[in-house]
Amino acid sequence: MINTAQTLPVDNQGDISLVLAQLETILMGKREQLELSVACMLAKGHLLIEDVPGTGKTTLAQALGVSMGLKWNRVQFTSDLLPADIVGVSIFNSQTQAFDFREGPIFTSVLLADEINRAPPKAQSALLEAMEERQISVDGHTYDLPQEFFVIATQNPVEQLGAYPLPESQLDRFLVGIALGYPDPATERALMQAGDKRSLISKLKPVASAEQIEQWSADSQQTHISDSIYDYIQALLLRSREGGSGLSSRAGLSLVRLSKSIAYIDNRNHVLPDDVQRAFPALAGHRLTGRVSTGNAAAMEILNSVPSP
Amino acid sequence: MRKLWQKRQKDNIPVRLDKRALYALAALLFLSQLPHVLHLPIWVSAIGVGIVALKLVAHHKNSAAINAVLSPIGMTAIALGGAILVRMHYGYFLGRDPCVAFLFILVSAKFAEVRKSSDSTLLLCLAGFLLLTQYFYSQSILSALITLPAVLALGNALAVIRDSTNAPSTKNNIRMVGKLLLQGAPLAALLFVVFPRLPGPLWSLPDDAAGTTGLSDSMAPGSIGNLSRSDAVAFRVEFNGPPPPAAERYWRGPVMSQFDGREWTIEKHSRKIRVSNTFAKEDIHYTVMMQPTQQRWLFALDHPASLPMSDTADPADGRTLAHLTYDLQLKSAEPVTQVMRYVQKSSLSREFEPPSRPSAKLTLLSGKNPQTVAFATKLRANSRSNKDYADAVLRHFNKENFHYTLQPSLLGDNPVDEFLFSTRNGFCEHYASAYVVLLRAAGIPARVVTGYLGGEMNGNYMIVRQSDAHAWAEAYLNGRWVRYDPTGAVAPARVDTNMAAALGAGEPIPLMARQGNAWLKRLKLSIDEMNHDWQRLVVNFNNESQYKIWEKLGLPKLKLWQITIAVLFITALWCLAVLGFPLVGSGAKTLEDKLWYRYVKMLGRLGVSRKPTETPNEFIDRASIQLAHVPMIRTLGDDLVRLRFEKPDKKTSGLISVIKRGLHKLYFYSMMHRYSASRP
Repeated sequence: MINTAQTLPVDNQGDISLVLAQLETILMGKREQLELSVACMLAKGHLLIEDVPGTGKTTLAQALGVSMGLKWNRVQFTSDLLPADIVGVSIFNSQTQAFDFREGPIFTSVLLADEINRAPPKAQSALLEAMEERQISVDGHTYDLPQEFFVIATQNPVEQLGAYPLPESQLDRFLVGIALGYPDPATERALMQAGDKRSLISKLKPVASAEQIEQWSADSQQTHISDSIYDYIQALLLRSREGGSGLSSRAGLSLVRLSKSIAYIDNRNHVLPDDVQRAFPALAGHRLTGRVSTGNAAAMEILNSVPSP
Repeated sequence: MRKLWQKRQKDNIPVRLDKRALYALAALLFLSQLPHVLHLPIWVSAIGVGIVALKLVAHHKNSAAINAVLSPIGMTAIALGGAILVRMHYGYFLGRDPCVAFLFILVSAKFAEVRKSSDSTLLLCLAGFLLLTQYFYSQSILSALITLPAVLALGNALAVIRDSTNAPSTKNNIRMVGKLLLQGAPLAALLFVVFPRLPGPLWSLPDDAAGTTGLSDSMAPGSIGNLSRSDAVAFRVEFNGPPPPAAERYWRGPVMSQFDGREWTIEKHSRKIRVSNTFAKEDIHYTVMMQPTQQRWLFALDHPASLPMSDTADPADGRTLAHLTYDLQLKSAEPVTQVMRYVQKSSLSREFEPPSRPSAKLTLLSGKNPQTVAFATKLRANSRSNKDYADAVLRHFNKENFHYTLQPSLLGDNPVDEFLFSTRNGFCEHYASAYVVLLRAAGIPARVVTGYLGGEMNGNYMIVRQSDAHAWAEAYLNGRWVRYDPTGAVAPARVDTNMAAALGAGEPIPLMARQGNAWLKRLKLSIDEMNHDWQRLVVNFNNESQYKIWEKLGLPKLKLWQITIAVLFITALWCLAVLGFPLVGSGAKTLEDKLWYRYVKMLGRLGVSRKPTETPNEFIDRASIQLAHVPMIRTLGDDLVRLRFEKPDKKTSGLISVIKRGLHKLYFYSMMHRYSASRP
């Protein structure tokens, strides 16, 4: 039994710029983060947001889900969270004399995993496994997750008691790590004047569909990359490894995918060095230091020491 | 879609200096001024440092008064006033000290009126020059090290000024400059060894009436005692072989033959003689490294058996640094104004035979000191010969209650009488003077010799300090001049050991002359040793030493052009090794990249150079704004980006020819407008 994404009727001919424009009415002044989030989705990666509460992480997940015409769910990670709370559980049905699988919140298209570093490793790994395999195994049965399955995980920047920091190997599974940050004063004022977020989101209309996203994702990976860009990416990887542990080959592959999506969002059929430079901090930050905030600086240092093609 | 991430519009060439550049320049100036503050008059330092500080204040606080001071008119007034004050302070203008002081003020005045980035380039050169002038004062290791922070600041300022809005952090700049310096060090070392040297200093600085301590052309009671309170180094000596025993370390300097009853002076005109006339055997060879004295005497162990020669000169060429007078003083033609090294030979005997009999003037007395004359006449009558008399006078000093001290009683009109018969305490000049007067009173030709007695071995060389200054007597007996040291009769330890051993407790002996081995003294000695090596190996390295190294390495003697070519070749190799071979031909592997780098190079020629991490689009955007008057930059750049990053297809070859044509046009344009292009 497969839970297909709930597709909603599409208003107009889908266009990524339309999606972005609509998202920007909800998350004002965060164009760069929004583009990176959408690019991450198109590159079939998952998104890690590191920020203090109240900066719009939930809003982003919700708005993304609605605008894309996708179903979305939220799981609050706590220290007593069990894998079954995420994945689902089989319950004995006395009428059919069989076990029925009751789906967990993971069976959705956009999943917001809030404060992922609060849950114990077992619960974390249940989610991370699903992210990688895009399927769930319970009691010998395998259940597929939707094609456009997209996880937005958040973690608190400050190390706190009772937190379980994600190990490096698992951080590697998040394609993009971003920080939303506080809005600038003008934007904050506009936010206050705009009123209740919830009502704004409820007015949102889907401007894309699951099929369309699938199409965009496939198209974006057709973007051309020249040899000099591959050279550049490899030089960045090599430079990151000079100081000991650097970026993995998986990270390199992800950088290629993300750069392609960014170019695609910008309406180009080829990747420019600018795309790589935009993708790199978002991709490398959390992988280099385990934290988006400190990792960005480390990534910029690498970028500033490798000549652009 | 608009390229949103290129939010930062790169603006035009910064016309006004921004905060970052201002601070970088201020740091450079402060660090260049620092070494000078040690020797400049306090008011000059205050003006120079004050102007720089004021400029920084003016950047934060817009005050009319400060702006008036910093205006061109205010600065002209300060420069003029500074010139007048400097002239008044020193009493002359064309000399090292006043000129450096004036430069010091001028450089800060220039900083005050810096407005544009082109001004700051000039300021960088001026600051570099100011930094160099501190070597006029000292060329020690410390003074080389003290310039290092300023050199780093200079590099940082250069990097910041180049493009202050996008300059990397100061930490990165410093690291980069440090790296460049390290990379340049081997080349500097190579050039140090092979670069042709000018024989002799490039400029000769006019004398500054500096109050250098040292022996002079006269000696009055107390003059050597005062000199002995100084720790300053008079000269350093390296011996070819073991150093002479302590009692033989008489360094002969000015010889005084004229006496006015109180003060001894040199003879104004003393004849030159040839070295062979001293009939001296050469007992000891050594090299003296003399500190500047502003006087003409060179020093040699008593008595000199050669003329001083530059230690690197070819012995055959016969150039000597001084001549010998008939009373065996070594005098150079010019005052010694900078550190001087010479090779010298000496005979260590106590007596020598002069080429001619001394004149009768050497028995003249001034008519003062009658008691002394009476005493001498009586004593001479009781002696069998002149030699016996000379020994008897020594015995008199030894037997009677004479006292050796740095703090003698003051003497009146008949100083020798008072010293011999009432005060009976004195320093070496008192004894030497009295002794010579006693000899002359008995009709024996005699004179006072001043110089240094002693010297302390430090590692492989000897340090002779002002505290070793000494005076002794020379008497003409049986056709020979014989050295008598009456101080030794009173305080034998002065001759055998040193001054400190001979003086009692409570005397004001300078630190480095004291007995014992205090840690401070040991530390100072090791620093002195380091500086001595530095002076010998680095500062004094000249064309002759260069030639010697060349010879030692077994290299054939090359012509200048051959050396030049060899150096250029090695330099090129080193640059390749440091900068990396891939950079040859801009690292372009493909035709697309080659075309791109040609484009970048041409724009560089027009005044917009690409930063290595700048993406092509960022660079094209910046260039087309900065060079808005140059056509085709945008279209050509966009074509190049398409060629390099788009998927090649049928149209590619057409695009290439379009780009090539565009590059030709741009090339012609850049050649035509080479100098005017960057200034729209």
